[in-house]
Amino acid sequence: MRLLTHNMLSSNIKGVEKGFPLRIEAEKVVEKPVEMNADFLRKMFEKVEWKAFVEASRSMGYAQLPEEVDSGMLESDEFLSRFHHALLELHLEEGALVCPETGRRFPVNKGIPNMLLHEDEV
Amino acid sequence: MALLATSTIAFKTINTQIRSRSFLPAQRHLPLSSSPPSSSFFRTVSVKAMELEQKNPMVIDENGVLKKGIAEFYDESSAIWEDIWGDHMHHGFYPPDSTVSLSDHRAAQIRMIEQALRFASIPLGDERKWPKKIVDVGCGIGGSSRYLSEKFGATAIGITLSPVQAQRANALAAAQDLANKVSFQVADALDQPFPDGQFDLVWSMESGEHMPDKAKFVSELARVAAPGATIIIVTWCHRDLGPDEESLKPWEEKHLKKICDAFYLPAWCSTADYVRLLESLSLQDIKSEDWSPYVAPFWPAVIRSALSWKGLTSLLRSGLKTIKGALAMPLMIEGFKKDLIKFAIITCRKPE
Repeated sequence: MRLLTHNMLSSNIKGVEKGFPLRIEAEKVVEKPVEMNADFLRKMFEKVEWKAFVEASRSMGYAQLPEEVDSGMLESDEFLSRFHHALLELHLEEGALVCPETGRRFPVNKGIPNMLLHEDEV
Repeated sequence: MALLATSTIAFKTINTQIRSRSFLPAQRHLPLSSSPPSSSFFRTVSVKAMELEQKNPMVIDENGVLKKGIAEFYDESSAIWEDIWGDHMHHGFYPPDSTVSLSDHRAAQIRMIEQALRFASIPLGDERKWPKKIVDVGCGIGGSSRYLSEKFGATAIGITLSPVQAQRANALAAAQDLANKVSFQVADALDQPFPDGQFDLVWSMESGEHMPDKAKFVSELARVAAPGATIIIVTWCHRDLGPDEESLKPWEEKHLKKICDAFYLPAWCSTADYVRLLESLSLQDIKSEDWSPYVAPFWPAVIRSALSWKGLTSLLRSGLKTIKGALAMPLMIEGFKKDLIKFAIITCRKPE
């Protein structure tokens, strides 16, 4: 699971008011290099919830992202390459995504999160 | 008992199909037995299936059991489908009264996606209005997600109950260099793991028929849709009820139940039911159409592919659930012929 995906997921347990963002428990993180596409990154920049993204990136072992951003930074190659690395090259292979309110763990196995709820959570 | 009756009907129907159409080879190039299997072989398969069925009667009135059944059915059968039909697990769209060969089917499946986009009035000519974030609800092995992502340059996220499908979908995305734009997870369409208003295209291609709670299904589609987003549902429905009808006729209920048992489907609803649900959620521009005439060649083609040498050997290797599903295919043809089953498209827009 990449952080691009993590940035779109939330806990949907019944009664939970704020299920986003899910905390990451990283057991196995793999880096897989992929070619950078600046146009794609600029498009994604508009959509990414930045604070959640920085926090998630830190949980995955990468702390090189700025806490605050503005679109001017998209001109900087240095920034783009860090953004690219954190967004697309870090993969959570094993671990869990944790509901921020209830602490419930959604397991991540072989890179795929299992977001199915139990009977009593719907 | 039902399964034996089903398989006898199935066998008779298949025999008729074979006699009335030319026997076409499977898509892959394999040594092919050109004669259909013997009737005793077919009966052996169906009797075996029935014996096993009686030992493990399937209960589908519990949603948890249904979901497990759906996951296991697709865990078991997705690979064999992909092997013969490719990565789109949905009907093709065919011009009416056309004769098609097996090689046309992939094009027809792509046509189905394109026709659905057109029907929903997605402004295909204006790139600025293209969807940028797509959710594929009941994504199979991700055929639609990858196609739409490539077409629109959008991100797509797919959800399925089947871990095997999610794995395969991700692998195919990686192989097609789309892994940075498209991802798949195991999740429930009735409780989508997304915050509200995330997606500008909400896509459900032939997954609605698996949803045990249509109201919840539709409300989740609406919830995750962003303001101004388009929702596209392509699904199997039963015919609309007449003004004086409270329910389908007993033979119709029985017929659908046989299909439900084989394909892990909960109770069916009508196209009109979907329209009512969308209206109740104040969605706009609601449109629906009966596309049954455009999918007529599909089930005969699937049956032919199942009866090819490759099809049969794959089925025997796959498992009981897949075999049961295969035996129920003639029921779909019968259902369409009797105007009971409808292939429906329903689209709408979330208000800005």
